[in-house]
Amino acid sequence: MTTGSQARGVHTLRRLPGLNQDRWFRLALRGVAVLVVVPVLWMMVDTFSETVPVWERFGIPGFVTGMRWAPSFVVYGALPFIYGTLLTSAIAMLIAVPVAVLIALLITDILPPRARSTVAVTVDLLAAIPSVVYGLWGLLVLVPFLRPFEQAVASTIGRVVPFLAGPTPGPSYFAAGVVVSIMIIPIIAALSREVFAATPRLQREAIRALGGTRWDVIRTVVLPIGRSGVLAAIVLGLARAIGETIAVTMVIGNAPKIGGSIFSPGFTLASVIANEFNEANQELHPEALIALGLVLLVISVLVNGLAILIRQRFAGGVGRVA
Amino acid sequence: MSLSALAASDRLRSTSRSRRAKDRILAICAWAALVVAVVPLLAIAIFLIGQGVRSVSTEFFTSDPPGDLSATGGGIRNAVVGTLMMTGLATLIAVPVGITLAVFSREIGGRAASAVRFVVDVLAGLPSIVVGIFVYSLVVVATGHFSGYAGAVALAVIELPVIVVAADELLRLTDRRIDEGTRALGMLRWRSFLSVFIPTALSGIITGILLAVSRAIGETAPLIFTALGNNFFTLDMNEPVQAMPLLIYRNALNSAFPAARDRAMGTALVLVIIVLGLNLMGRWIARRARPADQR
Repeated sequence: MTTGSQARGVHTLRRLPGLNQDRWFRLALRGVAVLVVVPVLWMMVDTFSETVPVWERFGIPGFVTGMRWAPSFVVYGALPFIYGTLLTSAIAMLIAVPVAVLIALLITDILPPRARSTVAVTVDLLAAIPSVVYGLWGLLVLVPFLRPFEQAVASTIGRVVPFLAGPTPGPSYFAAGVVVSIMIIPIIAALSREVFAATPRLQREAIRALGGTRWDVIRTVVLPIGRSGVLAAIVLGLARAIGETIAVTMVIGNAPKIGGSIFSPGFTLASVIANEFNEANQELHPEALIALGLVLLVISVLVNGLAILIRQRFAGGVGRVA
Repeated sequence: MSLSALAASDRLRSTSRSRRAKDRILAICAWAALVVAVVPLLAIAIFLIGQGVRSVSTEFFTSDPPGDLSATGGGIRNAVVGTLMMTGLATLIAVPVGITLAVFSREIGGRAASAVRFVVDVLAGLPSIVVGIFVYSLVVVATGHFSGYAGAVALAVIELPVIVVAADELLRLTDRRIDEGTRALGMLRWRSFLSVFIPTALSGIITGILLAVSRAIGETAPLIFTALGNNFFTLDMNEPVQAMPLLIYRNALNSAFPAARDRAMGTALVLVIIVLGLNLMGRWIARRARPADQR
């Protein structure tokens, strides 16, 4: 009787003493998961509950759209920093996206196969350099280097367009945007490279066999298939740009107001927290800075969520951590 | 050949010429993009080596910085030791927890696993300054003072998602047949985890750890209001502890003083060498572990 002996087999297996140990194993796994997830959630709730007085005093719209940040007068408005974060991220994306996508294409479709991994690793190394080192280099080398260029723009186009007008003190939204762009190029390039490399080989070869150039392959196969994956890579790069702290703090000039020109000094959400938190001793000042952290968190969770949504649509899957 | 076919082939040739031109333009743009990305890398390397090397000496590693940043002399011993202590403790926390979380989401599955995944995704996307705020209110406010422990917790939070993702990837790649084989042999899950998964995935785990450490070791933002930093040597992690990125940051903000600028550049050179060394070592181990045909 097959079924009978099988049933007996299963029965003996169930009674194996060791299976209890597996139950313990699972229980331990569950325990660690709870021990991590609960404190993380509690940490968030606990931190943000401290900001309640800020919301009570200024209201959510009042705080978020407030133009003035003056701790000594107990006036706190987040708009200058939201503006700074959005402007520097926009500058960074404008520079980084075309450069990064072209590098990814270079690595997957243009370089001879032997050179690919060397170039890929070199670009990846850019992502490994610490933020504070970019900040130091930005402060001592890049800012002075960019200044003649800023002056040239400000004294020509800047006379007509206030957004590009002088004065050009050096540290500015523009300088911060350039430094951040250098930092996110390798991230977007690495993720896009994975996407491009995952496009079907057969279709590429078919286009080449029909006499198509590499441009034709890229235009008809790589870009259409990789589109949503590259979009996800770009959004992840944006998330990184929004959260970038130390390098930005070192080159943005630290002025808590909305600068009219991209060459004006300013502040981002992340950099004002880094710069003021330790010295925050005015009424509500620490709470207002934590509230800025909450605003930053909401923006970056939204952006990351967008990346996850795009990625779910894209079957190939891009690396979860940039 | 008919006239129309001739015309068609003529058209094809001309379009092929324009396509070829586009192809060349694309290649030129792509090379230019690479130059744009690599020039900063070279510029930073030249800057650090050219300017940083002269600050680095034996004294640089064996003495502590002067209390006044503008004063010359002194070294970065306290920062090197502080970085090692905090990153070390952070790794000791993050590695077992991260691997367990990854195994949890594979073994248990279901809604609990997706909750864990969600938390890990949120942690991965968290700006590092926000991690600093969280740990400030969790540890610094609770204990009443800045400490090396708070810094280590913050760095552990930075490392955790990197390790979970690496371990998760490895679990996914572990050969199903091996996994099913261990089950068919009646091996217990925890035995199979310890004696099959861990050994087969070891090089991948080491790579993940090295990459996580190389990320955490250069972080400044989460340390500013957790570890705080100081100017003297301490092995007591219950006190404020200095770290190399913090030292670079504080000295860079005072870079009008030549001594502070030189100290920042020397420390940056040492930090970059450590970070790139760990990073390249991780990649090398991963590469060596892969079968030859996939390298």
